[in-house]
Amino acid sequence: MRFGPKENEMNQGIKLSVFEIVGSPLCVASDDGQKVHDRIAAALKEGRKVSLSFLNITSITSAFLNAAIGQLYGEFSEDAIRASLQVTDTAPDDLALLKRVVDTAKAYFKDREGFSRAVNEVLGDETDAK
Amino acid sequence: MKFRLPSTIRHDRAGFQDLVELNSKADEIALDEIEIDMGSVTWLDADMCAALGAILYRLSAELNEIKLTGIGPDVEGILSRNGFLSHYGREKTPDRYGTTIPYQRFEVKDDRYFANYIEDQFIHRSEMPSMSTGLQKKFRESVFEIFSNAVIHSQTRMGIFSCGQFFRAKHRLVFTVADLGIGIRRNIEQSRGITMRADDAISWATEGRNTTKNGAIPGGLGLKLLREFITLNKGVLRIVSDAGYWELSGGKTSTFLFGNHFPGTVVNIEINTSDTHSYMLGSELAESEIF
Repeated sequence: MRFGPKENEMNQGIKLSVFEIVGSPLCVASDDGQKVHDRIAAALKEGRKVSLSFLNITSITSAFLNAAIGQLYGEFSEDAIRASLQVTDTAPDDLALLKRVVDTAKAYFKDREGFSRAVNEVLGDETDAK
Repeated sequence: MKFRLPSTIRHDRAGFQDLVELNSKADEIALDEIEIDMGSVTWLDADMCAALGAILYRLSAELNEIKLTGIGPDVEGILSRNGFLSHYGREKTPDRYGTTIPYQRFEVKDDRYFANYIEDQFIHRSEMPSMSTGLQKKFRESVFEIFSNAVIHSQTRMGIFSCGQFFRAKHRLVFTVADLGIGIRRNIEQSRGITMRADDAISWATEGRNTTKNGAIPGGLGLKLLREFITLNKGVLRIVSDAGYWELSGGKTSTFLFGNHFPGTVVNIEINTSDTHSYMLGSELAESEIF
């Protein structure tokens, strides 16, 4: 017997506290961002909506947010993230930083797709030529 | 082997050039005694201990014995108060003026330890400059960004060195982080396959969406955020990496190519503590508009 989420639980939201996951008001390290990312990614894969609270967080770096949230754009579509993830309890300047990180991440992964496509085209051309 | 330091070492292009030359002259020495003669030194900006300490640490890793000699009382006073000389056989003396953020070496895994060091040695000390809440937050986040940059990009195996100094009369707080990593030029070459001059490489890293990251985690924001903050604050940002020197001052950038190289990267921020700009204000973004 498999113990998974019941049907009526699938769309229930999960509230994640950054402070609880990191254990500090200082969100500085990329490794700590990775811990936050892993929780969010696991919940999204289970089809859950995630509410990420920044209550009691005093400092955030782009390195932390890139690991915590930016890399989600390499794993989930923009639509899926927009539909399933929300942030709460953010200071206005932290929200502005998060927006920068999100926009940068979207561009980064679009560039990577373009780069991979270009590489594949070149490799494909070479293969065809053989 | 003996090396004499010049009379003044300030956190400017000339000061960094002197340290780069010291590194170059001592570069090949191993299993020897290295005497740094400081008899002529009448002024050393205390935050430059981060860059000097990184150079000396690398030399001592080559099993050289480092001796600092001839230090005058004024210079000895400040280098004892910020803990630099305690790495070279002296005792640390209390910072009764409350103007130093101590010299310290960190491992790359020490992000949290570094964050606590900034909290303890800067944020929670009453002697430190009175700054607006927004400015204090921006300063703190800026030094965290610099440290994270060194952790993520430098590939240093010998650690990260930091030191700060408050120049009360000038309303300036200066903080320096140095690493002994591969430097920005080689990082770009390795990750992007682009070959450029060391000073151009620093310019590249501070502009647009340029990044050397190519893994699962995006990057490329840290130096741009620093640049924006320092411009608003009317401070100064200096970066030395490899043979490159890059400076942002008065909103304008300038570069220089040294004849020799620093064995890693140094980021030096000088902030204007009397700045009343409100950094707490974000745009009119709503939490629902982020993704």
